[in-house]
Amino acid sequence: MKNYIAIVSLVLASACTDEGLRGYPADKTIDRGIDSHPLTDLQWGIHIDPDGCDHWMADDGFDGYYVARLDKYGKPVCSGVAPPTYTAGDFKGGSPIPDPN
Amino acid sequence: MAYFSKAVRAGIGAALIALTAALPVAAQDLSGPGSSGSSQKFSRNTPSQQGRDRGQYIPGIALTPDGCEVWVMDDGAEGYGDNRLTRQGMPICHDVEPCGLLNTDQFFATDSYRIKSQHQSRIAQFFRSSTAFAFVVVGHTDSRASDDYNMRLSYNRALAVAKIGKSVGARITDVRGMGERFPVATNATKEGMARNRRVEILCFE
Repeated sequence: MKNYIAIVSLVLASACTDEGLRGYPADKTIDRGIDSHPLTDLQWGIHIDPDGCDHWMADDGFDGYYVARLDKYGKPVCSGVAPPTYTAGDFKGGSPIPDPN
Repeated sequence: MAYFSKAVRAGIGAALIALTAALPVAAQDLSGPGSSGSSQKFSRNTPSQQGRDRGQYIPGIALTPDGCEVWVMDDGAEGYGDNRLTRQGMPICHDVEPCGLLNTDQFFATDSYRIKSQHQSRIAQFFRSSTAFAFVVVGHTDSRASDDYNMRLSYNRALAVAKIGKSVGARITDVRGMGERFPVATNATKEGMARNRRVEILCFE
């Protein structure tokens, strides 16, 4: 039994390192980190840039995502929901990994 | 009245030709060593294409809280994201119904941008009861009259709506007139044209 567990864990460990060593495949649609999940459930917050316009921001642990907030005509949304350079919304809430601040 | 002799005009012409001939040289000088950008080549065979993915990054689509699609990719170390746009530069959004929609026939007389007084309170009530943090007001017309005229009329109507919003303390971050350029229905029928005559209020939480 002990041997069996050792073999299983060895296989698991090698599967992990093998993945890490060989790199990931072309499918970049999932976060393969500690809390593996599809990227479709990012938790977005808002960052106001120095010009006063909104960006969607999500902290996914070690990855950060940042895209323009656009209205349906493609113009930037500058809502003033926070002062320039500040954030609003729990953009770190989607990840259990704390940031060094 | 300015008058140039034939000789002077020929001289000016020659000078212009000399100038334009010199321009491409100047442009080349600008893109020479020391300037960034245009001289860089992007080969499909760099160290970045040698991994298991052979340089292929298939993104996923995430939805922003506004319901617009964004491309997202995670290559195991970094995350990348960008807005998904049509080739006209428009975002691809779901639930695109504006949160406020005014049929302009009900609020304005033809060609007028003065809001009938009995309707002003309805618009004020809309802004007062909304939970949105900020608003963008966008006017539209049908395709009758000139494009230029419609751009002005739709902008003035949007301004009139925005003014009521401001008067009750709403935060209006932009006012636009789109004229006849963004129809939501055909302009070939009366009903279609009526639907196109509208003022949209976009709401941002």
